[in-house]
Amino acid sequence: MKIISCIKPVPDPASRLIINESKTWIKDNDLTFVASEADNYALEEALRLKEKHQGDVAILSMGGDEAARVLRSGLAMGADRAIHLLDPKFKGADEFAAAETLAKAIEKDGGADLVLAGVQSDDLGTGMTGVMLAEFLGYAHATVVIGVEADPAAKTLKVKRELEGGINETVELPFPAVLTIQFGINQPRYASLKGIMAAKKKELKAWSAADLGLSDNLVGKPGAMYEVKEVFVPERKSRVEIITGTAEEAAAKLVEKLRKEAKVI
Amino acid sequence: MIFVITEHRDNKLKSITSEALVFAQRVGQDFGQPVTAVVLGANVSGLADELKTKKIDRVIVAEHPDLAEYSPDRYVEALKTILGNEKPFLVIVGHTTQGMDFAPRLSVSLRRPLIAGCVEYEKQGDRLILTRQVFNAKMNMKTGVRGESPYFATASPGAFQADELQSGGNAEIVSVAVQFSGPVRRKLVERVEAPRGMVDLSAAPIIVAGGRGLKEKDNFKIVFELAEALGASVGASRPVVDSEWLPREYQVGSSGQTVSPKLYFAVGISGAIQHLVGMQTSRCIVAINKDVEAPIFKVAHYGIVDDLFKVVPALTKIFKDLKVS
Ligand SMILES: Cc1cc2nc3c(=O)[nH]c(=O)nc-3n(C[C@H](O)[C@H](O)[C@H](O)COP(=O)(O)OP(=O)(O)OC[C@H]3O[C@@H](n4cnc5c(N)ncnc54)[C@H](O)[C@@H]3O)c2cc1C
Ligand SMILES: Nc1ncnc2c1ncn2[C@@H]1O[C@H](COP(=O)(O)O)[C@@H](O)[C@H]1O
Repeated sequence: MKIISCIKPVPDPASRLIINESKTWIKDNDLTFVASEADNYALEEALRLKEKHQGDVAILSMGGDEAARVLRSGLAMGADRAIHLLDPKFKGADEFAAAETLAKAIEKDGGADLVLAGVQSDDLGTGMTGVMLAEFLGYAHATVVIGVEADPAAKTLKVKRELEGGINETVELPFPAVLTIQFGINQPRYASLKGIMAAKKKELKAWSAADLGLSDNLVGKPGAMYEVKEVFVPERKSRVEIITGTAEEAAAKLVEKLRKEAKVI
Repeated sequence: MIFVITEHRDNKLKSITSEALVFAQRVGQDFGQPVTAVVLGANVSGLADELKTKKIDRVIVAEHPDLAEYSPDRYVEALKTILGNEKPFLVIVGHTTQGMDFAPRLSVSLRRPLIAGCVEYEKQGDRLILTRQVFNAKMNMKTGVRGESPYFATASPGAFQADELQSGGNAEIVSVAVQFSGPVRRKLVERVEAPRGMVDLSAAPIIVAGGRGLKEKDNFKIVFELAEALGASVGASRPVVDSEWLPREYQVGSSGQTVSPKLYFAVGISGAIQHLVGMQTSRCIVAINKDVEAPIFKVAHYGIVDDLFKVVPALTKIFKDLKVS
């Protein structure tokens, strides 16, 4: 089976996010980047499928230098090779432009039996990219996947999807397919020392927009379907009463309020 | 024209449909655009009759045996036909596991913008500015759609209030014939309730729920201690369960249990929409979080902005003392 697993570099969840001067994104130059959390689950699933059925696991990431580091970690986890979509022109892509660029790269790589993406990223976070990728590639797809069984001989997949309200559904779909992988589907492995050493010898190639044959108007900001007008922290039209003081004081005040005011205990 | 693609199961409209209709009614009023609800399915005339009573202009019904169960291939094909005949301005879909399963495909196949996870909008001149959430609801982003309509938007659950849906209309019901030529690649095998386990939080009067802010499994004991002092049940956010600190049955949220206790403590939980939809109707919500900007404070009644490792033991002590006295 040939599997391509997508990895989006996002700011380390522990970072403090500050909105940039032009209010169009966050200040990202000093941040550490890691793989978006769901992508770790996707890569783990790819590695398990390979362990079961043999094949090739490539990881794919569009981004600046931070993406190369994230890809190195993926190679250390056990991916066979990595493709870095690196071009200043890719900057400012929305999900649509990202999906088109990723799709072109997958096509250039000869397509795949299975493409895995995260259910949603930790920054833009709507889970559009994987589904858009499927449409650009003309592949079948399934979202919010919590279980995968592949039958490489029959070229079919049986996957379990998680729906709202504690409902799960099982669907069958043919190769080639894109799956968006839900958090918690597995327990991602950590890279071993051996893995880290082995990663140094693995292939990590970089492709630009020109390599993909994508014209400037289709990538990055010009390729985006929307313009970012403003990023802001929403004002809380809320009723919340923030209780102040030391931890002990606040706790005591809170208990008082829960008893006398809210009358819930 | 504004279209709402309705979502239904077992011949009942989902509440997200009402929320999407509220979004549509508001945009419709501001932009002077009529609202059309679209129902895809088989034997769904009952749903059309129900929608007809809302203050909208039209209900389009496309019935076909292939639409009896949702499938992305059929939905995309049917909607391409319907939208192709109509040239809508805005097409609203629910930001659900179903909506987000087909809307991105439609957006790509028509090469039109999709703004997903919308919570608000603005009218700037003739332009529609859609506001969506980013960074797990910690920030919002205002976006200006590019190019010609139709524009696609998904409505974030809970962002538009279903009870604001205006009725009193007498919409025209229009049946549209759809024919399919493409394959149905993805087939439904079965749909089942996820195993429930032993933890039933639905009747718990008090819940102390912990999140990723607890950092590691062993720390969760402070949540259990507080719960015990209060005679409360324990709940968790999804990452707690995904990391196997607690079994799945403790999870509160869109893919876990929906709860509505009289008192809900959210300890080290940021308040992502998928968590909020599972607990926001609780009578009294207390949030303990060191980040004042955490979205959980949007729904909380009382908040303590401090280190949970200090606050939670302090609370436990007070409740223990209260019990003794
Ligand atoms: C399809 C789908 C379904 C989902 N279903 C669910 C669901 O049912 N339930 C659910 O909960 N999630 C669900 N999620 C996940 C959801 O999007 C969030 O990722 C999740 O709710 C975040 O959990 P959290 O708040 O515990 O973690 P985080 O978002 O990481 O928040 C941790 C919080 O702890 C605070 N904190 C850290 N350290 C401390 C400290 N020392 N003192 C005080 N505060 C501290 C931080 O400020 C932060 O706000 C779903 C996601 C998807 C895509
Ligand atoms: N720049 C990127 N490089 C690689 N994969 C990406 C990129 N952007 C999005 N993806 C994939 O798409 C998933 C969903 O992202 P999003 O649509 O932003 O929620 C991510 O978890 C990744 O798997």
